[in-house]
Amino acid sequence: MAGYSNLQLDALREMANVGSGMAGTALSHLVGRSVDISVPKAMAIPAAEAVEAIGDPEATVTAVMLGIAGELEGIVAMLFAHADEAALCGLLGVETGGELGHSAMCEIGNILGASYLGALTAMSGMVLEPTPPQMVTDMLGAIVASALVPTVGSLDAALLLDSSLHIEGVACSCSFLLLPTAASAGELLARLGVPA
Amino acid sequence: MGELVASRHPGDVLGAIGLGSCIGLALIDPRTGVAGLAHVMLPATPAGGTGTPAKFADTAVPALTDAVVRLGGMKSRLVAVLAGGAQMLGAAGVRLDVGARNDAAVRSALAGAGLRVGAAETGGTRGRTLRVHVGECWVTVKEAGGPLEYLWPRDAARERGRRWATG
Repeated sequence: MAGYSNLQLDALREMANVGSGMAGTALSHLVGRSVDISVPKAMAIPAAEAVEAIGDPEATVTAVMLGIAGELEGIVAMLFAHADEAALCGLLGVETGGELGHSAMCEIGNILGASYLGALTAMSGMVLEPTPPQMVTDMLGAIVASALVPTVGSLDAALLLDSSLHIEGVACSCSFLLLPTAASAGELLARLGVPA
Repeated sequence: MGELVASRHPGDVLGAIGLGSCIGLALIDPRTGVAGLAHVMLPATPAGGTGTPAKFADTAVPALTDAVVRLGGMKSRLVAVLAGGAQMLGAAGVRLDVGARNDAAVRSALAGAGLRVGAAETGGTRGRTLRVHVGECWVTVKEAGGPLEYLWPRDAARERGRRWATG
């Protein structure tokens, strides 16, 4: 793993755990059901392999993405397969795909993303704010690549923090990705007490 | 992503899956059926460089040309086909125009090397998948939820129909 020790990956995993926990709580309030969180994965892998580590590059997914502004730069992305998006919209009482459905998904992304970043702020002491959400429905590979390239830039290794939220009793899951820039990842690790 | 592959085995299919802002660059020698594909992520190699030439437009073009020529392609016959370079993300707090810059950088590098562009499907806001069929040398492009389209050569679809009809 290019440049990150096990200790550092553990710290990042823990941070992702807390972040997704907060996001899961927020989602639970929104839909009125329990939300489970999977054990997060922290991966530092070549950009070329990053997409496949997340899923099938050709699969169509809906992504709600927020930029991160402030002391950390990068992107927070929530990924939903079509069935998950439909289930979630169903729980909120709106139709998938229409204007209301689009707004609902963006709003969910906003709330979950803000919760996640709130947890990161609390843990790292870094002042972080989300930028307005963007929703894209397209091939997973294209979406992740378009998000990775500006953050990873010329480096070979992308840092991905991947966690999943599952709504209990409903077939609905959401993947959470945190893609920090390399410089931000370094700063984050320093603040978490495991500098390079 | 950021990789390069070339082949002269008819029937091989080279694919660049999920091209967002990246450019899938194919170089084809129609006479010998040799083809190569590079998945270009960024316009230019940064100062200091890295070991992966396919990642950057300026180094991908010579590296891909070399790979195809080594398998029997002739530079003067090579045709370039491009796809990708979309702007999929808007205001997500990161630089927005990588797709367009990749497109321009690849075309500029091709022009500088004296290589001609046979077809291109770039820009827009949608992701694409590019596939190159080695040997028969046709190139297809597909968007999520969209039909498979022949990108090069232009009469490939008609020719395929004829081949199927004669069994």
